[in-house]
Amino acid sequence: MDKLIEVKDLTFVYGRGTKQPVKALKNVNLDIMRGEFLTILGHNGSGKSTLARHFNGLLTPSKGEVLVDGISVKDRSKLWEIRKRVGMVFQNPDNQIVSTVVEEDVAFGPENLGIPADEIRQRVDWALETLNMTEYRREEPHQLSGGQKQRVAIAGVLATRPECIVLDEPTALLDPIGRNEVIEAAKKLNRDEGITVVLITHFMNEAIESDRIVVMDRGEITLSGTPRDIFDQVELIRELGLDIPMATQIALGLRQRGIQVADHILAAEELVNSLCPSS
Amino acid sequence: MELTKDITLGVYIPRKTTVHQADPRSKILLTILLITLLFFIKTYTAYGVYALFALFLVWISQIPLGYAVKGLKPMIPVLIIMWIFQLFLQKPDHAQVIFSLGFLEATDVGLRMGTLMSIRVLLLFLITTILTMATSMVELTDGIEALLKLFRKIGVPSHELAMTMVIALRFVPTLAEEMEKIVKAQMARGVDFDRGNFIQKTAKVFPIFLPLFLNAFKRAEDLIIAMEARNYTGGGGRTKMRQLRMGPADTKAFAAVLLFTLILVAVIRLFPPPIQI
Repeated sequence: MDKLIEVKDLTFVYGRGTKQPVKALKNVNLDIMRGEFLTILGHNGSGKSTLARHFNGLLTPSKGEVLVDGISVKDRSKLWEIRKRVGMVFQNPDNQIVSTVVEEDVAFGPENLGIPADEIRQRVDWALETLNMTEYRREEPHQLSGGQKQRVAIAGVLATRPECIVLDEPTALLDPIGRNEVIEAAKKLNRDEGITVVLITHFMNEAIESDRIVVMDRGEITLSGTPRDIFDQVELIRELGLDIPMATQIALGLRQRGIQVADHILAAEELVNSLCPSS
Repeated sequence: MELTKDITLGVYIPRKTTVHQADPRSKILLTILLITLLFFIKTYTAYGVYALFALFLVWISQIPLGYAVKGLKPMIPVLIIMWIFQLFLQKPDHAQVIFSLGFLEATDVGLRMGTLMSIRVLLLFLITTILTMATSMVELTDGIEALLKLFRKIGVPSHELAMTMVIALRFVPTLAEEMEKIVKAQMARGVDFDRGNFIQKTAKVFPIFLPLFLNAFKRAEDLIIAMEARNYTGGGGRTKMRQLRMGPADTKAFAAVLLFTLILVAVIRLFPPPIQI
């Protein structure tokens, strides 16, 4: 796998030149591989969203370098080349939908790229189909549920055919059902369409199925590895103010009480299979 | 409080009639023409003909008449005030006084002007209601954008204006919903919006609008970032998924309005106003 996004010694300072500049990112180094599903975990103020906003040039590094497909995000003339490759979905679905009709909103991105009408039509139909939103295409966005709105937002990004989709806390404002819809959609895009997905979240349960997890704390990457590597370090995770997936917690509690449970448990099914192997 | 239900702005009634199928550009242009015609009418007879045509439009576009008329209701108090003003204040030299209330004198010219003006406003409202009820918001903004494009050369930012309109419409329900939440939150903390005199009631509105406005700015900022992330750079180099096309429905619409205009002109010529106004 080759590198799609390279972050080298990235430092970002908010409010430069003011009395109280805030260093949101300190010497961050990270490579994002083409086709991978990466989760960036961290509590509020850890710098995870600031980092993500460098991936499509919404922010430019104060120091260091961010390369997308070899193009520097500092090169403002190539900004649109970068944004064509990296799409972004934000936290609040209400604040990122532009149009009064679902399919019109999905068309917004491709329209901005100046794509011919017939092709936009195809892309919109395809994007809505991929996210199972075809039946809602003529609806007004405000009548949809949170999870559905967020899927419209993802379809809108998908229709521009990016190589990578960055989801910046897409589930923070959703109910559990909506959360699940969005995470399933992200997994599907990664698995079926081969799109690189960067998921930013503070929900542990959303991270357990990703290829790799990066944990951030106070503007730095403190941990990096597969979900199993990360959640084995229970104490460290707790110190960082993050939760541990429910199944892992239960497994841990059971083990402390002397019940035999397999190692590296992340999902509920694994726990069930470990406790009742016959079933 | 169910604010979202009260918003009738841009209520669209989806049907498959000629009026619905006509190109939004034709509909907007013809509406402007019909409104202009209103200002040349000075007799009840001609207004009668006009009203018949308006009702005909309501009928063929399958808009429930009661629904279309409901929108006129809030206009009535304004019209009554306007009518009273016209009645007493129109005093050209040839006007005849009908009756007087103290120093106020009602004239025949005033009566006629007031009544004609009221009818004119009602018909104007009805015609625009037909346009908005038979045209979806998306079509309407597409149409406005396409028509404004003609003025692009003289510096009219056609796309930007249309975009602003789309976004404004898009956020009406969102903000209404939010306002409802704020009102409920305040009521839960003991604010009684029905009690108190006018000033006290007005003062209670501030704690609703302040958070609403602050949030609106936050939303605007989020939206700008989201639009930029989706490659938005304004109107230049942009294409549209929906292409506007004229068809047989447009021919029918233009023909009908043209015929009506000719009839109306004939009526205006044949039946001059009985008094000079």
